[in-house]
Amino acid sequence: MARNRTLSAPARIVLAALLDGGTRWQHGYDLCQRAGIKSGTLYPLLIRLGAQGYLDAEWQAPAEPGRPPRHAYRLTAAGRQLARANPPLDSARGAPGLSETLA
Amino acid sequence: MSRGLARFLVRLAAILLPPSLRDWGRAMAAELGTIEGARPALSFASGCLGCAIRKTIAHHSLKRPRRLAAVCAVCAIGLGLAYLSAAGAPMRYLAMNSAAAALGLLALGVMTETARLTRLSNIFQEAIALALGFALLAVSLFGESADGVTRWISVGGVLLQPSLFIVPVLAVRFAWSRDGLSTLAVLVAVLALALQPDRAMAGALALGLAASALVRPGRNAFLATGGALAGLAATFARPDTSPVAPFVDQVFYSSFDVHPLAGLAVLAGAMLMIAPAIVGWVHDAGNRHAYAVFGAVWLAVMAAAALGNYPTPLIGYGGSAIIGYLISLVGLPPRAGAGAAGRGEEGTRPDQVEPPHHLRAGISTSTRLRPVSPSYISPA
Repeated sequence: MARNRTLSAPARIVLAALLDGGTRWQHGYDLCQRAGIKSGTLYPLLIRLGAQGYLDAEWQAPAEPGRPPRHAYRLTAAGRQLARANPPLDSARGAPGLSETLA
Repeated sequence: MSRGLARFLVRLAAILLPPSLRDWGRAMAAELGTIEGARPALSFASGCLGCAIRKTIAHHSLKRPRRLAAVCAVCAIGLGLAYLSAAGAPMRYLAMNSAAAALGLLALGVMTETARLTRLSNIFQEAIALALGFALLAVSLFGESADGVTRWISVGGVLLQPSLFIVPVLAVRFAWSRDGLSTLAVLVAVLALALQPDRAMAGALALGLAASALVRPGRNAFLATGGALAGLAATFARPDTSPVAPFVDQVFYSSFDVHPLAGLAVLAGAMLMIAPAIVGWVHDAGNRHAYAVFGAVWLAVMAAAALGNYPTPLIGYGGSAIIGYLISLVGLPPRAGAGAAGRGEEGTRPDQVEPPHHLRAGISTSTRLRPVSPSYISPA
């Protein structure tokens, strides 16, 4: 599949981080740390991916009592396809641990 | 302390987010509770607030570009007042700018409501445009002079510079309607500015018309642009000997002498003036001709203020520019997509697009254009 050259570098890194998680649900702050990007970059991307049908989201019951439910994310089939077609532009600059999975 | 601030910032982000994105605000708040350490929590919360601000601006600007521009203008005027205060300007300067802002907002509201409730005939609007052109010419011939330059009128002892509100209005109107009388009105204004001479406003008109011709080429647009460029060249033939007026001219430089924060306030105010045009250009592709003209006119006024002894709009002392900026907002569509039309649409005249309601009057149904989907929307 042809690469979508309109995707920004952070979008590609976030997609790679989500792809790395497979079908496992992932959380916002974990994604920030694994992708090495700020929340101000992550959330607009997640919002856009969700609106375009590339991301599934669900509310999960809190692990500890007294905590609020958490929002969790994983790629849809279309999202996984998009992520594979758009790896990070420079995996050497990606977050630690991601470059291996993208090689 | 930091943890409490982080919670406050995330709560603020959740409040700011548009209703359709409120769940994301809850998601951010839930994540904050899982973060260990005050500093990472504060960094996360700051990012969330930045995201919310961007989404909110995009949401509102997509819907109501004119309202966004009015808010930006008020913020820019506020920053200007902060600069004037820090620079030790007389209190009456601050009062004059505040009064001009109130008057400009009132005029904008009246113009918007009048247009919404009445339907002025097209010929009547053209006549008003032509009258404005000749009014500017009258100022050049019979107005108040200083240092060999004639560009002011005295109203109750207060000097006003009519070109600062006539030129932007004529330019933004030309973005929507380029019939013969509108073109003539613009050319009369060009002559008036060449006579004054006023390089700043002649440059603003020339740049605004050039932007209009570039975004939506047409015979009258090229004619008006050519005339405006000739008028601008004519202003350079005569010396413009206006001296520097404190708190009015050279503000971009003098503000940094006052305090770096005052300088930054002036720069932020200048950016706010242009922001509505940039946001509109990006998010409302169907009305780019209007945003281009509006942005070009005010960018040129600011460039002139940076390069010569010309008023710094909204930020420096001067009510004319404040009123001019606010009433020129009638040239922006009240709602994004309102009046949008495709340049290459079959059966349309290249010199005419459907103006927004306030500028639309008496256009027969046969000349109305069907809105088209902006080309930037892609299925992906």
